[in-house]
Amino acid sequence: MGVRRRAGSFYLRVNPILCDGFGHCHELAPELVNMDEWGYPVIKREPTPLSDLATLASARFAVRGCPRQALRIERVSES
Amino acid sequence: MMLAQELPRLLNGTPGTPLTLGQHEATFATSFKVASLLDELEASGLTGRGGAAFPTARKARLLRDQRGHNKVVVVNAMEGEPVSYKDSTLLSTNPHLVLDGAAILASIIGAKDVIVCVSRDNPTAVGNVQRALDERARAGSRGPEFKLETAPWRYVAGEESALVHWLNDNESLPQYRPQRPSILKIRHHAVLLDNVETCAHVGLIGRFGAAWFRTLGTRVSTGSMLVTVTGAIERPKVLEVVAGMTLRTVLDYANAYPNPQALLLGGYGGSWLDGAHLDAPYDNESLTQWGATVGAGIIVALGRDGCGVVETQRVVQWMANESARQCGPCAFGLPALSDDLADVVAGTRNAAQAIDRLEHRCGVIDGRGACRHPDGVVRLVRSALRVFAADFQGHASGTPCQASRSGKFFVAVPRLERESELVWE
Amino acid sequence: MIALTTPYLWYTTRATGFVALILFTLVVTLGTLVANRVGGTVVGRFEVNELHRSVSLVAVIFLVFHITTTVIDSYVPTGWISILVPMTSAYRRVGVAVGAVAFDLILAVWISSLLKVRVKNETWRFIHWFSWLAFASAILHAYLTGTDAKSGAGLAVVAACATCVAAAALWRYVKRPTRAAGRTALSPLAASKGPGPGAPRPVSSKASSSFSRGETGVVTPPNTRAKPESFPRSPSPRSKKRR
Repeated sequence: MGVRRRAGSFYLRVNPILCDGFGHCHELAPELVNMDEWGYPVIKREPTPLSDLATLASARFAVRGCPRQALRIERVSES
Repeated sequence: MMLAQELPRLLNGTPGTPLTLGQHEATFATSFKVASLLDELEASGLTGRGGAAFPTARKARLLRDQRGHNKVVVVNAMEGEPVSYKDSTLLSTNPHLVLDGAAILASIIGAKDVIVCVSRDNPTAVGNVQRALDERARAGSRGPEFKLETAPWRYVAGEESALVHWLNDNESLPQYRPQRPSILKIRHHAVLLDNVETCAHVGLIGRFGAAWFRTLGTRVSTGSMLVTVTGAIERPKVLEVVAGMTLRTVLDYANAYPNPQALLLGGYGGSWLDGAHLDAPYDNESLTQWGATVGAGIIVALGRDGCGVVETQRVVQWMANESARQCGPCAFGLPALSDDLADVVAGTRNAAQAIDRLEHRCGVIDGRGACRHPDGVVRLVRSALRVFAADFQGHASGTPCQASRSGKFFVAVPRLERESELVWE
Repeated sequence: MIALTTPYLWYTTRATGFVALILFTLVVTLGTLVANRVGGTVVGRFEVNELHRSVSLVAVIFLVFHITTTVIDSYVPTGWISILVPMTSAYRRVGVAVGAVAFDLILAVWISSLLKVRVKNETWRFIHWFSWLAFASAILHAYLTGTDAKSGAGLAVVAACATCVAAAALWRYVKRPTRAAGRTALSPLAASKGPGPGAPRPVSSKASSSFSRGETGVVTPPNTRAKPESFPRSPSPRSKKRR
């Protein structure tokens, strides 16, 4: 939990094969995940800065809450 | 005698009568010795002929640099595109060239096994490969162990991760590959997977060298390539052409009917090109400005009396049925696109809304599958909306064109199979 | 062993047994609510999921109480091994055996869920299906072993729990969601109707998606794949993965 971690950004990535359209991610991280008309997640394509702690927390909840474990947080380090 | 700057190269023979090993050695005899195969491959600038046009040498180098693995070469002769015949034509003309190329790739990466995958629904091709493998076995040639595997034919069965998954687990399902570059694996063995035509070119480069290979083609798209021309043509043809020839030349060469309304380039997952642009050179660099690619060397000509909207609808309906149904956006989105197109074709009351919905849904579905199947369909639909804009409007305003009612179709679409008939293993 | 001078340990066993059964009824019901995608408007779906997880923790705690008090109580000679291995109890062999089966299954389900991040999703789902069997075993155990369950209020409670879960199972099946009825290790109950174009929609009066020779400019391409009739296609072996 250091200052070092604040640099860089992250993506929320979904494994579309595992995803079954439960929709928990949209409830837990609405700022990152929208739903399409069939109940599947449309995830924001732009990376989110790690300093945005609220969104990062939402993303973590979404990853933990997915019934199919279909979500991952991918770090993109600033270079 | 294989002269530089001359066609045919790959199709040097008679389609339907594959060359025996002896004839093959005679036809492609050479005294030229290639020093380093990988360097020669790199110098040739050969790119993959399966559709993605990835530099073959780069892929081989990546596999060669994998440590601590046994390696396998897989030759992809599945030919998932229904309107493509180049791979089976190649196998019925010069199968030994393909096997030569596979052996060369195996020696480059250090693989001891080569697996040739042919669709089991194409018994002619299976027979051709089997005969060629038997001839090689009888002649006792050194080199890698060859094996023939026959997977069931599906549109996605030719996709590289689906083919490798079938080899592993007996189901032709595309896999999610988030990391690029990602190495395909059979059990724990790293896999170099190349299209059958690419392997044939490698076979030629191994005999005649990169400089010879480059005498044909442009600076970027080197060598020759096989093209399947169907649609508004008396007899569908597979030709060997050179990048840089204009589309008009290719069509003339194929004896297609003149002045097509539009061309479908690249396959069912490709895009439409307006018939006004026939003077464009047939290579990837020139076609990108119209959002088209060479793809798997497919050209379908749409005649003047055809309807692009109907053709697109039929293709999308079939492609939706060919979805592996693993990912929601593809499994649900493609049938939705198909239904919208059907509404437009029929000219029903909500046809105008259907067009808007099409555009919206294309944006939603794009890029959200594990493989590029939905992306291909989206590309096709978007190009159709662009090229056949007037026809779409005509259908939407309740006046479907003559062509759509004639029941005459230019793009060959296989029979739509029922869910229970689809064989994935 | 705690010398028996009072029956309170014995009473605790029976009481915690009932509480555990009721809690597991709640857990299974919540599980079916999650699987059938209940929620999204008033209650969030993730909330139902979290409730399912939390209640299962409490249920397991009560179960552990139930088991521990049974074993350390010397009034009933069950022995430690009989918790996990069926048919090793001296007291009510079959009843305790069924309980051991239930506990083994619950243990498998619970541990795989704790390690859900590390386990492949297919594996987790396969194990999780056994929770139905675990509950059925628990009901049977309650009836066979339970001192109170053979009559009166106890029987009423056990019957109510069984009915509740049976109803949940029926509802789970009937209202199962239409999914991408795909080839992943999906629920065996995935409703097979779903995506897919269904019956080919006629495009024109000559509706046909196949070719025929003779129409000008259109020729059946050679080697067309649309010819299943001529091939003897052996029926595809049923894959382990359900459709």
